[in-house]
Amino acid sequence: MMDAGRHQNLTLLAYSEVEHVTGYIGNFNVKIRKKARYVNEDECTACADCVESCPVSVPDEYQQGFSSRKAIYIQLPQAVPSAYLIDMDNCLGNNPIACGKCKDACEKECIDFDMQDEIIDIEVGAIIVAAGMDVYDPSEMDEFGYRSYENVITSMEFERLICAGGPTEGHFVRPTDYKLPKRISFIQCVGSRSSKNGNKYCSNICCMNTIKDTLLLKDHYPDVQSKVFYIDIRAFGKGFEDLFMRSKESGVQYIRGIPGDVWEDPKTKNLLLSVEDTTIGKVQVHESDLVVLSVGVEPRKDMKKLQHLLTLSNSVDGFLLESHPKLKPVDAPTRGIFYAGCVESPKDIKDSVTQASAAAARASIILNAGKVEIEAITAIIDTDKCNYCGVCARVCPYNAITAPDRKSGVYPTIIQAACAGCGTCASECVQDAITMRHFKDDQIIAQVDAILEENNMDKIVAFACNWCSYAGGDLAGTSRLQYPTNVRLIRTMCSGRVDEKFIIHAFKKGAPLVLLSGCHFADCHYISAVTWTQRRVERLWNKLERLGIRPERLQLEWISAAEGQKFAKVMRELEEMRKKVTDKEVKETMEILAKDEEKAKAKKAKQAAAG
Amino acid sequence: MAEKAKFKCLRCGHEYEDKYTPKVPQERTCPKCLSNSVRRIEEKRKA
Repeated sequence: MMDAGRHQNLTLLAYSEVEHVTGYIGNFNVKIRKKARYVNEDECTACADCVESCPVSVPDEYQQGFSSRKAIYIQLPQAVPSAYLIDMDNCLGNNPIACGKCKDACEKECIDFDMQDEIIDIEVGAIIVAAGMDVYDPSEMDEFGYRSYENVITSMEFERLICAGGPTEGHFVRPTDYKLPKRISFIQCVGSRSSKNGNKYCSNICCMNTIKDTLLLKDHYPDVQSKVFYIDIRAFGKGFEDLFMRSKESGVQYIRGIPGDVWEDPKTKNLLLSVEDTTIGKVQVHESDLVVLSVGVEPRKDMKKLQHLLTLSNSVDGFLLESHPKLKPVDAPTRGIFYAGCVESPKDIKDSVTQASAAAARASIILNAGKVEIEAITAIIDTDKCNYCGVCARVCPYNAITAPDRKSGVYPTIIQAACAGCGTCASECVQDAITMRHFKDDQIIAQVDAILEENNMDKIVAFACNWCSYAGGDLAGTSRLQYPTNVRLIRTMCSGRVDEKFIIHAFKKGAPLVLLSGCHFADCHYISAVTWTQRRVERLWNKLERLGIRPERLQLEWISAAEGQKFAKVMRELEEMRKKVTDKEVKETMEILAKDEEKAKAKKAKQAAAG
Repeated sequence: MAEKAKFKCLRCGHEYEDKYTPKVPQERTCPKCLSNSVRRIEEKRKA
């Protein structure tokens, strides 16, 4: 951090918050609120004279509340810049009667109670999101006694207690009697790998953190007995298995089983843990002086705000979704934005540094090139057809379309560098004022015509998105999975590209069954385009029903690239459904839709005649 | 605000109740056949 603070090419804006981001790859405009510190950070030498004079004392968040800090403070000893700030929520203020002692104590006159927040506007070419994560708060669950017993602490609290810079200066004591605990139990997976409490995913770092903690304890206090209660130990990194073996060999007991109950002996304040050791199948009770809950990590509480700010999407676990899990693991779906660290998934320091280096390298490619290659498949607006409705701007997952203004006659414009080519705008535009470069309307309709030209009653028309469903079909094929051969796939880049008129056209041409298939919501390669697909299908189901056509004949399915089995299963089920569609039903549908088209044409002509 | 709504699977015909938040699209899966062709059944307004 010190190096970063001193680097000539880096501007560090500490104690600041990003408020607004506009623009696109190579041309982002970022509005930052630099919060008032009430201390001139350029002049402050962190001499601490002000701290000594401050009469306010509040719990120190960095020390997990084990010690206190003053209203004028440094958030952590290694903070860069090493300058104080005033916590105005707790400061008594500049009123000379009330306080103002810090100002009097500061010889360099760094304290300025009139300091205001500063808004900074900067232009950047790329953005790296390294916003970190939150630590799981075990207060919501009480089976381990975190809310009830003082001697049950979290791994974060343990970290502060054993740290030389911590509240006890590294003298490890338990909270009730300030004595060295002789028996310490660690409970793993608290808030992780659970469908009841916390999160379903593995938090990745807790096993190795506990192993490190047991070794630290052995190093500092060889007589302390440590027990680790676990589901399974995940030590898969370089050198991690060695560390695990060292911990075991040093005498740390590893017991496979998570305690079902923890209770306190009111006299000794010791804790009793009831656990089934699953290696021997017996329920045991273990006594401990201190219990450490190895808590997992979770996405930041303000993740939604961050997502909204940068037009990003999240995966099922709530962390930010990458552009491609294997080929673009540090890229956000929005071009020019990259991830580093736990904002993307739980990871340790080494992986965070690796990802940060990759993100910096990816960003430097853009900055050094000085120009951006745009996607080959982007949208184009035909202003002759546009009626300024603004739907295109509203549905674009990338904010790549500027909103139109009917009054001033400003048409929407597509920022080609930001457009990813999902085609949602083209599908949602009722005026057909948007066309795509490639995957054009007439190309897709020609494919539908070709499929249904002969033996239409035998065919299933299936629209599949390039990244997931089509790849799922590929996997089914390469895995030699059997599915009906009469399914005809039409590939589009995104299911969002599948216009209502393509489906209606397929029914008009005699399709007995149509499938629209895309990515799962959390896997969508175009952020939120898939949600518009769902909306459109729901609209279509209503329309079909209104016209007297069975909505069941339009099927919807979310199939990922890894779901070859599901793809084959869905196709087999659809074939069974197709067999039940009669020739009479298809002909009736064709007649209904032909009449509906005539009606729509007549209505349009009437409207045109009316001006 | 999430409310309860009726859903019908357009694959197997199974009808069930589930949470529903208006205007928030959600990936739905039929609990019986695991199909995603799940449609919300809007209750008809009383005359």
